[in-house]
Amino acid sequence: MKKVDRRDFLKRSSAVGLGALILGMSKDLVANNRIDNTPLGWNTPMHSMAPKRLSDLTHRLAKTALSGEHGRSMVHADWTFKERDDRSLSNNTRYALAAMSIAQNAPLRIDSGEIIVGSATLLEASMNNVPLAGLPSTSHTTLGYQNVLPIGYIGLRKKIESRLKQEDLDDKGKDLLKSMLILLDAAQVWNNRNIAYLEQKMASASGDEKIFIQNTISTLKQVPENPPSNFREAVQSLWSMYAFQRLMGIYSGIGRIDEMLGAYLKQDLKKGNISLSEAREILAHFWIKGCEWIGNTDSKGSGDAQFYQNIILGGIDANGKEVTNEVTYLVLDIIEELHISDFPTAVRVNRNTPDKLLRRIAEVQRLGGGIVSIYDETGIIESLVKFGYPIEEARSFTNDGCWEVMIPGKTKFWYTPSDSLVLLHSVLGLREPVQTLEYPDFESLYAAYIKKLEENIADVNRGIDNVYQGDDHPLAAMFVEGCIEKGRGFDNKGPKYNVMAIHYGGFSDTANSLLVMKKLIYEQKYLTLSEFTQILKDDWKGNEPLRKLIQNRFEFYGNDNNESDAMLQRVFNDYTEIVSRVKERNGIYRPAGISTFGRELEWLPQRKASPSGNKSDAVLATNFSPSPGTDKKGPTAVLKSYCKMDFTRVPNGAPVELKILPNSVKGDNGIEALMGLTKTFIKLGGFYLNIDVIDSATLIDAQLHPEKYPNLPVRIAGWSARFTTLNKQWQDMIINRTQQIV
Amino acid sequence: MESEVNDIKGVVFDIQRFSTHDGPGIRTTVFLKGCPLACSWCHNPESQSAHYELFFNKKICIDCGSCNKTCPFGNAREILQDSELRKEKCGSCLLCANVCPANAIEKVGKIYTSDEIVSEIEKDLPFYENSNGGITISGGEPLLQYDFTIDILKKVKRKNIHTTIDTSGFASKEKFLEVAPYVDLFLWDIKITDENLHKKYTGAPLNPIIENLKVVDLYGTKTILSLILIPEVNMNDQHYKAIANIYSDLINVQGIRLLPYHEYGNSKNERLGIMNHDSYSEPTDKEMSDACKAIQKINNQIKILQ
Repeated sequence: MKKVDRRDFLKRSSAVGLGALILGMSKDLVANNRIDNTPLGWNTPMHSMAPKRLSDLTHRLAKTALSGEHGRSMVHADWTFKERDDRSLSNNTRYALAAMSIAQNAPLRIDSGEIIVGSATLLEASMNNVPLAGLPSTSHTTLGYQNVLPIGYIGLRKKIESRLKQEDLDDKGKDLLKSMLILLDAAQVWNNRNIAYLEQKMASASGDEKIFIQNTISTLKQVPENPPSNFREAVQSLWSMYAFQRLMGIYSGIGRIDEMLGAYLKQDLKKGNISLSEAREILAHFWIKGCEWIGNTDSKGSGDAQFYQNIILGGIDANGKEVTNEVTYLVLDIIEELHISDFPTAVRVNRNTPDKLLRRIAEVQRLGGGIVSIYDETGIIESLVKFGYPIEEARSFTNDGCWEVMIPGKTKFWYTPSDSLVLLHSVLGLREPVQTLEYPDFESLYAAYIKKLEENIADVNRGIDNVYQGDDHPLAAMFVEGCIEKGRGFDNKGPKYNVMAIHYGGFSDTANSLLVMKKLIYEQKYLTLSEFTQILKDDWKGNEPLRKLIQNRFEFYGNDNNESDAMLQRVFNDYTEIVSRVKERNGIYRPAGISTFGRELEWLPQRKASPSGNKSDAVLATNFSPSPGTDKKGPTAVLKSYCKMDFTRVPNGAPVELKILPNSVKGDNGIEALMGLTKTFIKLGGFYLNIDVIDSATLIDAQLHPEKYPNLPVRIAGWSARFTTLNKQWQDMIINRTQQIV
Repeated sequence: MESEVNDIKGVVFDIQRFSTHDGPGIRTTVFLKGCPLACSWCHNPESQSAHYELFFNKKICIDCGSCNKTCPFGNAREILQDSELRKEKCGSCLLCANVCPANAIEKVGKIYTSDEIVSEIEKDLPFYENSNGGITISGGEPLLQYDFTIDILKKVKRKNIHTTIDTSGFASKEKFLEVAPYVDLFLWDIKITDENLHKKYTGAPLNPIIENLKVVDLYGTKTILSLILIPEVNMNDQHYKAIANIYSDLINVQGIRLLPYHEYGNSKNERLGIMNHDSYSEPTDKEMSDACKAIQKINNQIKILQ
């Protein structure tokens, strides 16, 4: 099977050629896009350009995990527990007893050579459900690992017990906290089973293997129950806590792993107890554990392994001190070498971030996959303070599972997604008849759009008022500040912050469309509004020249053109102002965000033809990036346009994605160029930047020959997915997004 | 201080931002129209003429007929597809390019004042600062539009921006000496080292190119030698030896970059209506790395840049 070579690709990628290649592909090929049970051809290194620092054993474990072998061997929770239907017990008690039964019965899996152990092996959990209970679990938050890790479960237990002793808790609160104590017991049962399993293994082992297992057993005897006394214990403790959450189907972010683990490593290094390469192996095993749900089930269209297990590196701590430490660099080493995208990793950077770190980020970014992204933290912290968070908390921000910022360990987070472009279609009478389409000037048309947006946001706000009266999720709750103190569960406003972010997408295309109408209808009077809306109703049929003229003569958002950027700026400012009017109501915070998360596909059926020269079936802009094909001046112009916005107005975030050809960042100068993009992004004040170094020729080859690319990660929106696990519609979207830069 | 005319105009056929191959860091490359050489493998054939030209890209034409309606000969599509017909009939009125909605007919070459170029360049100033980048003036041959080029250089130098000239090396010695103070780096093309073959393939003599290089080098300006490699033309030891000799005579040379010939220019020739252009084969990756080794075998002091 021949790789589509570059020359051939260029020939085929002309407007007609590529269309035929992508759109005309036979269904058989699509069906082949699953890797299923076919053994993987792992006869090549992880990435041909990555240096090898980790041991062969670690590589072997990584390959096995990445192949989906563990995920495919997961099982359903096919037993029941006696209290399941006992209605005399509270929901929380039954939840805790389900956890106990799972701790007692779930299959264990510890592979030879694993330094970090403990596996969430039940299929239901990997699908975000609570096994045995048959209930949906929770996700989209970073739990307070940073609070529990240093005190261990023993400290957490004390905290819960002492809260119970205070007499002011109501019955609900007591019930919740008692269930938490059962959960801690369950965690201990599970840990003890793992120890017993290892002891059994050890009985038949000898020599080095015996010592190896003995070390693992000693580690498990210390953590997660007690505070860790060294780096290995800290990594194991973090994994054990995290894995137990996973066992109950909770998808959670990890948070600031370098801040959590850095001190343990520093102390071990100082004492000479560990070398950096030993520490790298330990941490690599944590990364490999994060892959064990791959292959769990038929993938979604949007790719496999979306478990929201986000990691944050770098940035300043609560006191304003830089966090970056040896762990930060070890994480980047591991991602570079193993190319594991399953922990989407974002680095918080600022104007003082050392070049050494920026260089490492660039080196990892260049290998592709979009695994490491960037927050410009200064503006984000400012936006959070402006929103009302104390500065120390603002400085501690992480994200929820994609990139929406939140305060870890204190927050119930969710968001409502809406489409801004479809509102413009409504104003223009494209979706339903409108009473009047008479707008004498652009300002009145614009005002009508903003009014529609206001009404829509008011509806969203009313919808939000009554959320968060749901399940307590006691296991998540005990890791979140506020729940123990108030005696209220995770989805019952127990957390200190209950956030329902208001997100809209489609602004790039909305602003482009407004610009076209302003120019063509009101300034040049090229045609009337009703003529134009008729053309849109006909989906441009018979008006291809006009459509092309608009696409080719306008410089839209993303080209560093002040006029088009100003239009987006205006919409952006109005949108963020409207959302900021209701900061909090009914105990629920409502920060503004801008996102699509790939919903540009989901929204297609509602969307009509757009004034910016797009037919109704065009897949339009992702998140806050320029619309596909409109950014004709390259990545620097995109960043210039994007950074014209004042991101302190959008406390939940608005990301931009850059697709860069591998060829344009090769050699030493390529690293300089990537660093230059990031440094300028910081200097100009952006929010969140994702750089994916990718060649559409490679993607097309992967679409045709998925078996050759078992671990080709691509950035989707807030996460990376293995390209071959996306369905064809998603693959095409990614290819088209990338196409523009050829 | 010498007097300066502020709005010197020049003909530019492209301005490329985030250019990462034309000198250090992130750069903006300004491509000027007009070249004294006429290399038969030229990958930017539209850069050769100093005048406007029309590109016609049939692949993206939507057959709307607008061009023919506006063409004084009523036949723009046919005329543009044949360079001979163009000579005969096209009066370069540009009407067709103005009306073409699909950009299938495109005017190549736009007049800019040096101030306009400078303000375009300044848009990416923070990127240059953060990557040790700057601007590159390329072409065509930048020194063919000498007044324009030196005016841009003086203006950007005043803003402390790193400047690179991508040159064929073919212009008067005086001009090179005059721009040199404003140039941080020359990317110097050496296409063929045999005098006769050079004349045959590029239409220009070799000697002045090498003499100018030595002059610029003596002046103290840094240079990088750019070697286009074409299997049928210059991928042989004789050429590499000659290059190594030139290289070792230079004091301020920073290295050599090897550029594989690619067929990219063919599609551009077609857009210009030039059907009978020479074609060559592209060197394979192995041939390129062999060339690299061959040069370093002759002189291992030669730095080959990525």
